[in-house]
Amino acid sequence: MFDITGKKSWFFLISAVVILIGIISLASFGRLQGGIEFSSGSMMSVDFEQDVSSSELKAELANLGYNNAIVQSVEGGNFYIRTDKLSDEKKAALEAALEAKLGNLEETEFHSVSPMVATETANNAIIAIAIAAIGILLYVTWAFHRMPKPFAYGTCAVIALVHDALVVLGIFSIFSALWDWEINLMFITGILAVIGYSVNNTVVIFDRIRENQTRGINPDFEVVVNSSLVETIGRSLNTSVTTFFVVIALLLFVGASIMNFAVVLLIGIVVGTYSSICIAPQLLLVWEKGEWGKILPSLRSAPAKTKGG
Amino acid sequence: MARKNLMVLAVVIALFATALWIILPIQGERLGRQGMRLGLDLVGGVHLVYQAQFPEGATSDEKARDMDRALETIQNRIDKYGVVEPIIQKQENERIMVQLPGFTDMEAAKSLVEQTGFLEFREVEVNSEGNAVYLSEYLEDSPDGFFNNNIAGNRLFTDEGLNPLVFIEKDGAGNLTYTDEAGESVDIEEIRNEVDRISKLPDLSAAALLSWVPARGDDGTPLTGNLLMTAVPDIQSTATGIEAEVAIEWDETGSIIFDQIAERLYNSGPYGIPQRALGIFLDNSLLSYPQILESSYNGKASITGNFSVDEVERLSNLLESGALPMPLEKPPLYEEKISATLGANFIDMSLLAGLIGIILVMIFMIAYYRIPGILASIALIFYGTLVMALFKLIPVTLTLAGIGGFVLSIGMAVDANVLIFERMKEEFRAGRTLGAAIETGFNRAWTAIRDSNVTTFIICAILFWLGSSIVASAPVMGFALTLFIGVAVSMFTALAVTRVLLRLFVGTRLAQRISWFTAYSRKEQ
Repeated sequence: MFDITGKKSWFFLISAVVILIGIISLASFGRLQGGIEFSSGSMMSVDFEQDVSSSELKAELANLGYNNAIVQSVEGGNFYIRTDKLSDEKKAALEAALEAKLGNLEETEFHSVSPMVATETANNAIIAIAIAAIGILLYVTWAFHRMPKPFAYGTCAVIALVHDALVVLGIFSIFSALWDWEINLMFITGILAVIGYSVNNTVVIFDRIRENQTRGINPDFEVVVNSSLVETIGRSLNTSVTTFFVVIALLLFVGASIMNFAVVLLIGIVVGTYSSICIAPQLLLVWEKGEWGKILPSLRSAPAKTKGG
Repeated sequence: MARKNLMVLAVVIALFATALWIILPIQGERLGRQGMRLGLDLVGGVHLVYQAQFPEGATSDEKARDMDRALETIQNRIDKYGVVEPIIQKQENERIMVQLPGFTDMEAAKSLVEQTGFLEFREVEVNSEGNAVYLSEYLEDSPDGFFNNNIAGNRLFTDEGLNPLVFIEKDGAGNLTYTDEAGESVDIEEIRNEVDRISKLPDLSAAALLSWVPARGDDGTPLTGNLLMTAVPDIQSTATGIEAEVAIEWDETGSIIFDQIAERLYNSGPYGIPQRALGIFLDNSLLSYPQILESSYNGKASITGNFSVDEVERLSNLLESGALPMPLEKPPLYEEKISATLGANFIDMSLLAGLIGIILVMIFMIAYYRIPGILASIALIFYGTLVMALFKLIPVTLTLAGIGGFVLSIGMAVDANVLIFERMKEEFRAGRTLGAAIETGFNRAWTAIRDSNVTTFIICAILFWLGSSIVASAPVMGFALTLFIGVAVSMFTALAVTRVLLRLFVGTRLAQRISWFTAYSRKEQ
């Protein structure tokens, strides 16, 4: 039988490294760019008849006094332009000026969000994520209330979901630095979906641990956890594969406008599957055995073990 | 057992047939639902959210009543524009959300919603040439000429914001006094400076600095748009060409008051020259000030001004639908416009994505799980049909994010089946027959299916709350709703449909070939 639990120190190390890289990326590439839903402003999508390059458009916008405008090229002559909140008059003037310099354009989309609404949306998004964490803590604790330490199950599930959110955020910050991607409402929706997905997997594994523990297959909790993981790993991977397929299809065919969302889901499925196998049950084991102090020392012994075996 | 299973199968097939009947034709009408409802990001349109401005001290009851009236008024205005399925909703008690699918003229949409539409009549003072009199003329020339000595009246002048600037009152002896709102006398020099400043403002409202008093009936009732019965566009040919105007008809009270005012204004000047005209003000700006040429109108009149045919149509629509009970804050809190050309492509592409996703999942399931995989694929087709039928019936407004939620749920839909099949594999390994493996497999997998899906429901509920608490709600709500329906239906199809189909094999010769039902036996052999 595979020894999954024996490698838990490695899993913790890998996660710690990935999260650390994410944090370094977050810190060194500056703040993550919030979408207009969260930081107010105007965003328009324009389609130029003639060939216009992104740098031409940026230069022209700077000329017109929009120095901090953000230009995102979609395809062909299609761009997203993000500016401070534009009034009707300013918008008309901006479009007229761009047409005069760069040829006819068609405004295909326009969004404008006032600061008041932006603050509200940002606050509510944070509240939603907090409620999600608390809700899952309470639910998982309740679902496993017949077990000796139900709170451990809840807490480990929540630590795993915080882990997922951190990893997704970290990886996303790299994309954000590369391609000006924004943290928008769809990103938050994606994060919540990932949280749900990951906890869903975790609960399936916990359920098996509960069952094996109740049946008393082995007095050693480590063996119980390991057997449960081995028994459920087929299911965990298969479900991830099917979900991965459909999200890939979504990304390839629907593309640009829900790119952020699909990419978050894609990263999330991988990370969520990983954390539900390699983080949540392993933490539960550490908790159950009270071996918090041994996480680090075992790091040193783990390589020796693999060399020996 | 087999008989009961056949009955359940019959129910499942009937349900499938009904679902198929509901969704086909996609754009056709079934059970009162006309086609799929598509969100703004797919069909294009305008989405606006406004903050209502209530006077200070308005009670929550008054606010609620006014909000309901405002929604009704905006609905009336929009209905006349022929927008299909507009959504006009109250948000958080003091906000109004308007969604106009397929309507992409942002300016027209804004003016349609924003205009308060408060129609008011004021007696406007005119000089002997028939031109309106402004405050400056009172300050420059001897004002006596403008006043009929027989009438002891007062005049109200407003600044650019239409706040009272000065009241001019004439006593019986013909002397003028200049007072402010509180009745304190004011310095004429100050007023002159103020007038200088205001008249230099670029976009001065036509009503500012005009000499007027509200037009009231003999009992003091003001003449306003609330007393209108009808307002229809009308075209009159005159000596100078065609003139577009709005023909109005007053209700009973309105007719009486209008005639009382007409009689007074008709006789207001000496020698048949009216000294006051009837100013028509819409949202505090002057449309025109026609002179009253008859003493009695019997409840009918027309609103003139240099209107184009379009303007007349808009104005009559505005007047017919009535005034908003309160103004809306401008600019709107949130505005969004999406052109219709974007959406058509998205729908095709996401259908394709859904289809390819389903096919990939099926190939995987069949390759990995053999016959159960085929049954799970059949259940997946059933799943897709049932979900689409629910989308049409509820109806769920499909947005891009909503379709994303649906596609995602396809991947997750087989999860319950995967759980069950993996369980069955273990049962086979323990030496059970097909029938026994099916029953224990389903029973043992149930707690995991239930407990794990509850977490997804919790997330859906939180997303739904987030969607309902914010202004740009459509994507979040759409995703939450489709994911919820998807997961709920997938539990049903995985548990009911796959089980019924699997049981059909129990007791047949095929049941002996365990290797057709699981990947496990082959490896062992």
